[in-house]
Amino acid sequence: MSPLLGIIIGLIVTAVLVYLVYPQKGFLDKWSKGKRDKKKELIEDALKHIYDCEYKGIKCTVHSVGGNLSISNDDAANLLSNLEKMGLIISEPEFVKLSAGGKSYALKVIRVHRLWEKYLADHTSISEEKWHHYAEIKEHDLSPSEVDELAAKLGNPFYDPHGDPIPTADGEILDDNSIPLTSLASGEFAVITHIEDEPDAIYSQIVAINLHRGQQIQLAEKNEKRIKLIAEGDEYVLAPIIANNIAVTKIDEEEEIQSDFKTLSSLKQGEEGVIAGISKAVRGRQRRRLMDLGIVPGSKVTAELFSIGSDPVAYLVRGATVALRRNQTDQIFIKGD
Amino acid sequence: MENKKEALIAESNVMRLKVGENFHDHLIESIYEDAEKIASRAIVKKGKTSTFNLERNIDKIVTSRWFGLPLMFLILAVVFWLTIEGANVPSGMLASLFLDTIHPWLKGLAASIGMVWWLDGLLIDGAYLAMAWVISVMLPPMAIFFPMFTLLEDLGYLPRVAFNMDNLFKRAGAHGKQALTMSMGFGCNAAGVIAARIIDSPRERLIAIITNNFALCNGRWPTQIIIASIFIGSAVPAHLAGLVSAGAVVFIAVLGILFSLAVSWGLSKTVLKGEASTFSLELPPYRPPRILQTLYTSLIDRTIFVLWRAIVFAIPAGLVIWLVGNVTINDISLAEHFINFSNPLGLLLGLNGVILLAYIIAIPANEIVIPTILMLTVMSVGMTGVGEGAGVMFELDSISDTANILQSGGWTLLTGMNLMLFSLLHNPCSTTIYTIYKETGSWKWTIVSTILPVILGVIVCYFTAQVYLLVTG
Repeated sequence: MSPLLGIIIGLIVTAVLVYLVYPQKGFLDKWSKGKRDKKKELIEDALKHIYDCEYKGIKCTVHSVGGNLSISNDDAANLLSNLEKMGLIISEPEFVKLSAGGKSYALKVIRVHRLWEKYLADHTSISEEKWHHYAEIKEHDLSPSEVDELAAKLGNPFYDPHGDPIPTADGEILDDNSIPLTSLASGEFAVITHIEDEPDAIYSQIVAINLHRGQQIQLAEKNEKRIKLIAEGDEYVLAPIIANNIAVTKIDEEEEIQSDFKTLSSLKQGEEGVIAGISKAVRGRQRRRLMDLGIVPGSKVTAELFSIGSDPVAYLVRGATVALRRNQTDQIFIKGD
Repeated sequence: MENKKEALIAESNVMRLKVGENFHDHLIESIYEDAEKIASRAIVKKGKTSTFNLERNIDKIVTSRWFGLPLMFLILAVVFWLTIEGANVPSGMLASLFLDTIHPWLKGLAASIGMVWWLDGLLIDGAYLAMAWVISVMLPPMAIFFPMFTLLEDLGYLPRVAFNMDNLFKRAGAHGKQALTMSMGFGCNAAGVIAARIIDSPRERLIAIITNNFALCNGRWPTQIIIASIFIGSAVPAHLAGLVSAGAVVFIAVLGILFSLAVSWGLSKTVLKGEASTFSLELPPYRPPRILQTLYTSLIDRTIFVLWRAIVFAIPAGLVIWLVGNVTINDISLAEHFINFSNPLGLLLGLNGVILLAYIIAIPANEIVIPTILMLTVMSVGMTGVGEGAGVMFELDSISDTANILQSGGWTLLTGMNLMLFSLLHNPCSTTIYTIYKETGSWKWTIVSTILPVILGVIVCYFTAQVYLLVTG
């Protein structure tokens, strides 16, 4: 065999190997995805969609099911008639609604979905805009005992990271008492309680500008074209279509509002600041780790040492020297003086 | 009773809702608040102490833009040099004790009590020899390297190295402390894997564990040095031989660092993307090292611990090595059967069947790869007058004698180069594999860290071989 041919064959074999094992996009992963129970997924997704319609007070039809699940209207009609035979839904002349059994099934699926999102948010580094996608897959393949185990591990949370209530194992679900961001009046203070994760295009815009749940905001200005907020010392200008996907609860003005704060990363060598808080975008283990190190409101910090690329920077906090990276110090707020 | 339980759970749920999700934050905040109140009453501060200022000045130098990195390279170079130079004498003494004195004595003893030849071979030439070899080549460097490393750690210098290196490792998706586990890996990969405990962020710790094998460990340096001086050194004019072969070894070590960074990057972008990551790096105050305690902990916790694991794995390997050399089918030993069978694959990779077999049966310790290769080469070529017989590992004092054996085994410059590459890029030794399993508790990551370097090694050797053939025609 001539060496040139050897090199070419080697390159081809390597390329095939990479294609086979590449995570997520590779053949092996796609193949294992292909083995999933499509029928069960369709049933569960349809129930979820109908539940969602009822929750929002919209009437659910064959068209909307077909559109939501990306299947043809004929397939959707077949699917619905199957669901009816299984006793999961009840057909009315103009629309379909869930039976008691169907509702309980839908809530079980939603429970897994929201628990998994909570798990991804608190226990992994998977980025925010991918939570929904992964949960869409996971919701179909956890057994009831695995779900309960997961819930216990997460401390039986009430809300998922988007602020949606998580149904309990018995199918109970908390009422939502938040209001749309657009219903606030100028000057009012509120906390973001919910960010709708669908459609992707709008959700990823909200994630990109770093608005997140638990953030305190003040509505600065509101008109038909735009809505202006102040949060964590920054100004955000949103189109109404985006603002509609954000829900809030009002808070009293007297509560301390985070405003006019600088980030820890803005300290220069030798400068001192007082911690005001850690952004809510820092979650789970990372948040706990920072707090364990003494990064809590009221702690004095001094920027001590700058490493070669000015990242990380070592800070003196409560008598200890701790190095933090810039992507962290950007999320820690200080009261400047 | 049931009702009461239900009511209690319902009550607790109402309370939990009232307390809210920020409960943990508030709890930690109030703990700090209380602690501060108590501390402010109890502690009197008298300005900043002079040690504090001294520390700040030392920190300014060791992490400075200009002195930080050169100082680090200098200190690490001194540590490695002391290890390699300092280990020679005790290694030679141990070898002459175990291999030249006790081994013949045991053989004599076995003969005097009339032990059957195969039991004598199996136990003394196989098990004992492998164990003795591992002890004499592994113990001295580890006993020198680990205490020095622990001293630097105890002094507080190593966290500053991690601080300096963090920017580079961050770009590869890793933790600055990986610079330390990697340096530890130059001493011993199993110890490097254990050292990854200092990384408390789950994702970065896994990355450090999986890529530790790319740090060329103590057991592989001698292989690199002897092969470089035989094959690379002889390919250049004599007055350059020393320099070029030393350069080749350094090149392999640097290549290992590059592979370590590249693989870290790849892992953090793909399979490990979702693992939780919590960066923080504490820079503890400098303290005078506690020398006796350091000596004790590094000798007991690290040296003896690793050595014990190595011995446990070396004994069965010694048995296997002797058996493949002495069990025959149709008058041909198992080893030769395998060598003949795997030779075509070996040649395709620019290696040969002997090397492949040596790397399989010498999994317990990289240190016995060269002795095993010599034994297998002599056996498969059918040389007489050298070596100790089938299944008995040996080493020669003179490099030119070693070169003669290898060249009569059909080795070329390519075989030498690829052996150096394969020595860098192959599965970790069994001690390290076992340690990876212990540390991660996961078969999945153990298999990934074992297979990944072999795949890379095969790919790199294959392409090197083809390009070499293309260039030399």
